[in-house]
Amino acid sequence: MFSLIRWTFWISVWVLIAAFFHYTLPQVDIVRVTDTYEKRIDPGENSLFWAQADVGSDGTLANRDVFFIQTRRVDGDVMVYRNEDTGWGWPPYFKFDTSNLQAEAGDLRSTEAAARYVAIKHYGWRNEFLTIFPNAISVRAVEGPDASKGIPWLNIVILTLFAAVTYGVWVRWRRFRMARIDPTMEAIEDDLAEASGAVTGWFGSWRKKG
Amino acid sequence: MVALARLMVVGFIVLSVIYVCLSLYSRAVRKGKLRAEWEEGAKDQPLDTFLDEGLAEYDKSLRRKLILSVYVIPLILVSVVVYLTNFA
Repeated sequence: MFSLIRWTFWISVWVLIAAFFHYTLPQVDIVRVTDTYEKRIDPGENSLFWAQADVGSDGTLANRDVFFIQTRRVDGDVMVYRNEDTGWGWPPYFKFDTSNLQAEAGDLRSTEAAARYVAIKHYGWRNEFLTIFPNAISVRAVEGPDASKGIPWLNIVILTLFAAVTYGVWVRWRRFRMARIDPTMEAIEDDLAEASGAVTGWFGSWRKKG
Repeated sequence: MVALARLMVVGFIVLSVIYVCLSLYSRAVRKGKLRAEWEEGAKDQPLDTFLDEGLAEYDKSLRRKLILSVYVIPLILVSVVVYLTNFA
C-alpha cells in the first residue's frame, strides 16, 4: 500500500517535470505559413497559457489583441501559433519583437502551389480543448520541407545541467539518509520491539497467575 | 517597467542568497585548509594568529572577488538572450 502511494507520487512528480520542460524548452517545426491574423483574446481559465500584454503597454486590462500565425506542417497538419511578447517574465525568452516577427511571418507567406518552407522556433502546446497555442519565437526561411532543424544545443545543455543537479542532490540525500536517518529509525524499531516484548511478557506473567 | 522591476528585485534576492551561501562556504573551506596546513607545519605561531593572517590574505584574494560572478554571469546571460531573441 505504502509502496503504491510512493510510486504514484514519484511518477506524478516526474510527469510534471517532463511536462514543464516540454512546454518551456524551444522546439523547431518546419512549416509553410499560410496566413497571419490578429484576434481579440479574453484569457480566462486558460490564462496560465497566455503571456502578458506587450512590454510597456497596460497589462491590467482584461483583454487584448494577439497576433497569430497560421501554418501547415510538412505532414499536412494545420498548426496555429500565437505571437506574444514574453517580456521580462516567464519563460525567460526575453522576447520583445512580436510586431517584427509578425512582419517577417507575413512576408514568408506562401500558397500550396508555390510552397516556401520556414523553420519556426516556438515553445508551448496547441490544445483545442483549452484554446491554447504555442508561442512563436522566431522564423527563418529554409530550402525545403526536408531542411534540417539543427541540433538543439540549448535543450541539451539545460537538460544535462538539470540531470547533474538532480543526481547531485539525490546522492547527497541518500548518503545523509544512510548515515543519519536509517540508524535512528532502526534504533527506534529495536526499542519498540523490545518494549512490546516486555509488555507482552508482563501481561503473560499476569495471565499465568489468573 | 513593473515586470522588469520585479525581475530585478527577485533576481537580486535569489542571487544574493546564493552569493552569501557561496561566500560562507568558500571561507569555511579556506579555513579548513589553513588548519590542515598549520597541523602539518612547524606550529611556530598560535593557531588563531595563523588562521587570522591566512583569512586576511584570503579576503584580499582574487578568488574571493570571483564569487561576484554570481551576479555578473546571469546579467551577461540575460543580455545575450535578449540580443539573440530580438536582434540576431
